[in-house]
Amino acid sequence: MVQQTKRTLLKGTAAAVGAATFAPHLFAAAPVRVGYAMARTGPWTGGAQVSQEPNYLLWAEQQNAAGGLNVKGEKRPIELISSDDRSDIETCVRSYEKLMGSDKVDLVLPPWGSNANFAVAPLANRFGYPFLAPTALSKRLIEMKLPYFFLLLQQPKPMCEALVDMLKANGAKTIAVIYVDDLFGLENYAALKVALQGTGIQMVEDKSYPGGVKDLSPVLRSMKDKNPDAFVGFTYPPDTILASKQAKEIGFNPKYFYASVGTAFQLYRNVMTPAGAEGVLGMGSWNSKTSPGAKAYFDAHTKKFGGKEPDRWASGATWAGLEILTNAVKTHGLDRKAIRDYVANTTHKTILGDIKFVGSENVGTPGTVGQWQKGEFEVVWPAKVATAKLAPKPAW
Amino acid sequence: MTEPPYFLLLMSTTAWLELIASGLITGGIYALVALGLNLQYGLMRILNIAHGEFLMVGAYLTWLVQTQFGISPLLMVPVAFLVLLVLGVVLHFLCFRRLTATSPNLDVFEARGLMVAFGLMFLVQNFVSWLWGGDLRGYDYLTEPVKFGEVQFAANKLLVFFLALLFSGALIVLLRMTLLGKGVRALMQSPIGAQLMGIDTKRLHPLMFGIGLGLSGIAGALLSMAYTITPYMGQPYTVTALIVITLGGFGSMSGALLGGLFLGVIEALGMHFTNPSLKALLSYAVFIAVLLLRPEGLFARKGRKA
Repeated sequence: MVQQTKRTLLKGTAAAVGAATFAPHLFAAAPVRVGYAMARTGPWTGGAQVSQEPNYLLWAEQQNAAGGLNVKGEKRPIELISSDDRSDIETCVRSYEKLMGSDKVDLVLPPWGSNANFAVAPLANRFGYPFLAPTALSKRLIEMKLPYFFLLLQQPKPMCEALVDMLKANGAKTIAVIYVDDLFGLENYAALKVALQGTGIQMVEDKSYPGGVKDLSPVLRSMKDKNPDAFVGFTYPPDTILASKQAKEIGFNPKYFYASVGTAFQLYRNVMTPAGAEGVLGMGSWNSKTSPGAKAYFDAHTKKFGGKEPDRWASGATWAGLEILTNAVKTHGLDRKAIRDYVANTTHKTILGDIKFVGSENVGTPGTVGQWQKGEFEVVWPAKVATAKLAPKPAW
Repeated sequence: MTEPPYFLLLMSTTAWLELIASGLITGGIYALVALGLNLQYGLMRILNIAHGEFLMVGAYLTWLVQTQFGISPLLMVPVAFLVLLVLGVVLHFLCFRRLTATSPNLDVFEARGLMVAFGLMFLVQNFVSWLWGGDLRGYDYLTEPVKFGEVQFAANKLLVFFLALLFSGALIVLLRMTLLGKGVRALMQSPIGAQLMGIDTKRLHPLMFGIGLGLSGIAGALLSMAYTITPYMGQPYTVTALIVITLGGFGSMSGALLGGLFLGVIEALGMHFTNPSLKALLSYAVFIAVLLLRPEGLFARKGRKA
């Protein structure tokens, strides 16, 4: 054993003081290790790299720039431990298994999309990691009643109710629907059918389509022949754009044209041009006018990513989730059970307004409808959260 | 007199015209996508599974100059062709030249070529993803509809359709009428015989591979006008191209054109009368039926190519 002399102790102290003076980062608190897997390659990338991962990066950067994440009063730097899940559920599950099981990170952030969350949520629950999922939309996930799992996005039922409410209030009588034939499309289609009951709005046509479809014009043409007041598409980004382009192409001009994921993306405005996007409705729940926090977030995001705007739907939910997590860690440290209880039992103030959970579902944010107006995606329904009034859609 | 089936009466002549025309347009796009692969596999036995990836490169080049410099995507069609042609010649020099030299026979060459192409697929896909990110991209070009009486189509789709016809036609003429085409066909009939007749296979092979890649570049440039693009868009196009060249008969350019148009119309009718979700079922049913009943291709005459 080495004898600890006064001299070595003195030397050690001197070295420590010297180092602390010249290289303070060596003495900073241990980092908070935050793990996640995210699609950086493969078909989920388009959604994941718009609505989700940029927010994780921005959050870590902002927190670290402010001295670190506030863990019960102690500022600790955030260390993101992330990997590409290659848009593959198997890889995604394994990555999280490693993060939570062997790396034992302090916190995890969710992956992108309903399917990946469906696979990873039970695992996170088993390991006792609070899981605030911003991009999952599924009634079934809620019915699984996982105590550590929280869904930030409004679910099919409130979203479809808001849409039907708006259509009914504006005198729409007929509606034609297309939906992608996976969990997202099927659940929304089912919710829409329920919401339409007793409203007198008639569904004149409904067709499903496979993801990655390259031509929807035969379907849109037969819809055009039936001349519905409203078109509703439960679609993913490439199909949202395809359906819009082809509706324009064949001159299908219903009074209300609604599409889902991707309508609230900056890409939509770029591809359709602001004039072409004018009046198009879609899933969206916030923009920079929603709250001062939302404006600050929007500006910081656009600045950091060289003009890349957050989308007006799930990006907001991702950021709200990170706000909730930040506050949870501030009051309860990294005690994951305490974080879970805090998330479950608190009404959270976020950029989207008040969020509170019943079971896994966010019941604080109402179902909303968004609309492109003069180059901005405005919330137009319901009135209490609207950033603009519903405007009539000009012909394409 | 027998009456036509009930469902046929439900649609007006205009609606029928519209439906068939939209099927033909999609079919033209299919044919265009298949051109390059047809040249590579049909004529040279390189099953270039990375075909869709090179198409994607063409699409990205077009998107890049359109959004960055505002250059018309139409001008990018020849540029994409040239860039990918050069890339093709280089790739041939680096990979397939060795394979040709070391493979004992055509079957082994085909199997090895397939492996190399798989590697290229991952390389190209990840390179583009690393360079430009995985985001969806797109731009607005010629989306205004063009009216023919009551029927209307997007201008960019019509353009793609006519250029698909043009390039298919040009290739058919090139292969049938020119000395170069004769050389290529001779090469396929008997590589050794062709060499003995003084055909410079060392130059012809890389050139044809390059032209194949160039054609996928053209397809990519044109498709980027009508569709959104991502680094992962390639694979479905490779599959479509394979189906189309099987339908038309390997190596037959006119067959691929007809095969593509046929597939497009079948799909449009199928989607209209059933459901888009059944589209894949329909195309594969046609594919399997052709493989079973006419494995040499729907439009191929035995013993004659191109």
